[in-house]
Amino acid sequence: MSIRVQIPSPLRPLTGGAQEVQVEAGSVAALIDGLESAHKGLREKLVDADGNLRSYVRIFVNDEDVRFLDDKQTALKPGDQVAIVPAIAGGL
Amino acid sequence: MRFPRAVAEAMEAHARRGFPFEVCGILVGTDGACAEAIACENRETETPRVRYQIAPEDLLRVQRESRARGLEILGYYHSHPDHPARPSETDRRIAAEGLSDGLCYVVVGVQGGTETLATAWMFRDADQAFAEEPFEII
Repeated sequence: MSIRVQIPSPLRPLTGGAQEVQVEAGSVAALIDGLESAHKGLREKLVDADGNLRSYVRIFVNDEDVRFLDDKQTALKPGDQVAIVPAIAGGL
Repeated sequence: MRFPRAVAEAMEAHARRGFPFEVCGILVGTDGACAEAIACENRETETPRVRYQIAPEDLLRVQRESRARGLEILGYYHSHPDHPARPSETDRRIAAEGLSDGLCYVVVGVQGGTETLATAWMFRDADQAFAEEPFEII
């Protein structure tokens, strides 16, 4: 099934400039695999060496942060909208 | 990065208003020209005098709204109360861990709650560092 994924600007060099891409996936984990297949280099921007979502990356499925769903095992269904969003922080 | 005077003044006024706590927001525009600085709530609850967080939910909302207006997220701004208007090591480390390549970070130094100075910096993953760029008023 095809899932629409919004890409933030820092990742667009990896998607040929596309703001949105479509990936066949039934879960967030499969979606990350699909993104990597189509746009090499995206996986390492999203997950760490252990395969966990990076601290400063959030993935939303229909406005819900997957950290509050089933994380990478969150199921996807046709028509779902996925957004990759940076977590921004800093200070002195 | 180019900023209309009203946008630059809005960021500095936000920094003064929020003093002695850090304030933050999102820069939207096109092609290196900032059209608006959208003030966000600082979601840092433990040490807001020295840290800031922009909620991912706020970023998602601004990302969608700006796309609908034909604008892009160009970067972010935050204040440094009683500290220099330049990115800290904490800013650099978190930018390097996150998705910040090619984005502009404005840092507004605010001394004593009144005197402000805004500077602009571009983060590059390749350098793992910020480089200052002109803060141009248009």
